[in-house]
Amino acid sequence: MSTEGKMSVKNRARLALNNDFLRSAVRFTTERLRSGKIQASADHGSWDEWRERGRQIRLHTIANLDYYLTQFADNARANGVHVHFADTAEEAVQLSLNIAKQKSAQSVVKSKSMVSEELHLNKALESIGVEAVETDLGEYIIQLADETPSHIIIPAIHKNRYQIADLLSKEAGETLPPDTSILAGFVRNKLREKFLDAEIGMTGCNFAIAETGSMVLFENEGNARMVTTVPKTQITLMGMERIIPSWTDLEVMATLLPRSATGQKLTVYMSGITGPRRDEDGDGPDEMHIIILDNGRSLQLGDPEFQELLNCIRCGACLNACPVYRQIGGHAYGGTYSGPIGAVLTPALKKNVAEWDDIANASSLCGACYEACPVKIPLHDMLVSLRRRKVEAGRGNKLEGLGMKGFAAIMNNSKRYRAVIRLGKIGQKLVARSGEIRLKAGPLKGWNTYRVTPTLPKHSFRDKWPTLEQEIRGGLQNMPSGMEQRLQNIMKDRNKGGGS
Amino acid sequence: MSSDSHEAWLAELEAASRQKQETFMNGIASKLRRPRVTNRPDQPFRGAPDFWESFQWSSEERISMFTQNFQAAGGHVIHVADAVQAADFITNKAEEMKAARLLMQNQPSLLALDLQQRLSQAEISVWNDQPETDWRAKAAEADFGIVEADYAAAYTGSMTVMSSANKGRSVSLLPTVLIAIIPVDRLKTRLGEIMSDFDAAGREGLPAGIHFISGPSRSADIENDLTIGVHGPGIVYAVLVDSW
Ligand code: SF4
Repeated sequence: MSTEGKMSVKNRARLALNNDFLRSAVRFTTERLRSGKIQASADHGSWDEWRERGRQIRLHTIANLDYYLTQFADNARANGVHVHFADTAEEAVQLSLNIAKQKSAQSVVKSKSMVSEELHLNKALESIGVEAVETDLGEYIIQLADETPSHIIIPAIHKNRYQIADLLSKEAGETLPPDTSILAGFVRNKLREKFLDAEIGMTGCNFAIAETGSMVLFENEGNARMVTTVPKTQITLMGMERIIPSWTDLEVMATLLPRSATGQKLTVYMSGITGPRRDEDGDGPDEMHIIILDNGRSLQLGDPEFQELLNCIRCGACLNACPVYRQIGGHAYGGTYSGPIGAVLTPALKKNVAEWDDIANASSLCGACYEACPVKIPLHDMLVSLRRRKVEAGRGNKLEGLGMKGFAAIMNNSKRYRAVIRLGKIGQKLVARSGEIRLKAGPLKGWNTYRVTPTLPKHSFRDKWPTLEQEIRGGLQNMPSGMEQRLQNIMKDRNKGGGS
Repeated sequence: MSSDSHEAWLAELEAASRQKQETFMNGIASKLRRPRVTNRPDQPFRGAPDFWESFQWSSEERISMFTQNFQAAGGHVIHVADAVQAADFITNKAEEMKAARLLMQNQPSLLALDLQQRLSQAEISVWNDQPETDWRAKAAEADFGIVEADYAAAYTGSMTVMSSANKGRSVSLLPTVLIAIIPVDRLKTRLGEIMSDFDAAGREGLPAGIHFISGPSRSADIENDLTIGVHGPGIVYAVLVDSW
């Protein structure tokens, strides 16, 4: 019954578990980001009112997406931008390559963009002989290592400074010491040349402002500013759901996003780009393209259980809060997006039923992701829905079907839900002592079978258990007390804001 | 390629895009199970929560909170009475740091600082005042970039710089050190006070580049070790000036 996807997720998780540095780095970083976030949101005060406001703005925009997207496109065109629409990743890639060819580009400099990862654009550019250079420090490092990002906010979270010094030394043609400021200094100089050489600059888009046709980028390093200032041609890749109506709405997003992502009051740079350079300007791109991408996003529209996925502002807070992510890191999820958001978004973008159960199992359903989410997306409810749909689609076997029935009953009753979670905890303690896992029922089932495989040496699991247990406990203690009430409210709200 | 054929290529893309836009938007409407929304919908919640809109700090509080926040992000803040004191500060800093090249925005009040007179050894350039210069390169080789901020917000410790013919985006980005003059009457409490001006200005009133800057360029991408000056300026001075 195990699908190919299931095997590969297990294997990826095993790989991650065997990489000690990765595990400690992920834990350290996510802990730092998480406490930064908790601090920043507490400092700010009335955090829940801001979250609710953010959620309302996103709900409204998505419910009227055709209006706001049209308004954005009209205004961007009036600003002199060339706007394009792509239904699929392939179409977006073709548009990008078409522009690169027309510009006879040799080199493209890029700033961090999850959409570009989604498109596997670098490979496509290389296939037509165009060099694609990632310019975010972390992205540059993992590009040299020929890997993919493992965290939305800190892509090279899984590399240590010695590994980084090795990679950069190869690039420099001399041995660089594992000293952060020297390594960063090398990258600064190296990339300055790349910025000046590149014909095209390519960015993602955090938010697009419908009323003025502006696109907004949040960043700390300044590379997104370089990419949007220095090359003659600029291409922005934008998910179709990135829209907000106005600049005043941006204040809400600017309050929620940096605090949730890194605990900053605002990122070092927040840039609003409104069209290519004006004729009289001394810098800025001459030509600007914006490619608006669907690629499975519209599958969520009109789906009462999943439409809120489109509210996501890609802050990464749910990753940092997730006890599973903190154990296995991003690569184990196997998609562009990792953590709780990735576990739901990856299968949702593909409507790939076979993959649902597999990735959806990478969750302990503790609710920490919902608590952390600045726009209150009920990710753990969605994970349950994914599992249910798999069974409904006849993809699960009988036993799983039975399990799902139990699940539905449990989710309808918060007391029983908590009881089962407690049961899961006790069950895990028992198995931890005997050195293998046999827990068959309850929300932690997938988590357990997934974490422990026969090939994993017994002692290593036992060694890891104390921290693992603490992680899970920590997550569970964060579980909201009014869960039942909340689930009911969510269903009510969804029906309200769900686009009907 | 000739510019004519490039225009033709763009026109072709444009036609394809307009066509595609219709099916794209119709697809969204049908997924949402309703007709296309073509009239502006009522926006029930716009901007920050209501309690926030009335939140205001006094001028002293704004100055002290801006200072605190900007410093916490790794920036430096100096508070002076007037333009002469601001000029003194820049002159001293340039001498202390042995700045050989300074680049400033083409603003009357910055020109009035008379830096050329004060720093006769240094090369002082003014953005975009000669068409034949490569201004990108000028900015990249500058030790100091000197700008006048259009706004600042105390709550987040941010300043806002807006582009124009006389105000290059590169001046606040490429030099090693950024010095930003912030007249105190442009220092607001909240970001929203700045944003509402942009909404009021509307599409046609906005410049190509609006940049909020909240400290030195930084990264924690190598083992969470904070590094400053990764791509943008690593040293940033905010000079608050009472009467500018
Ligand atoms: S789901 Fe919420 S917490 Fe997770 S990345 Fe999206 S907005 Fe952030």
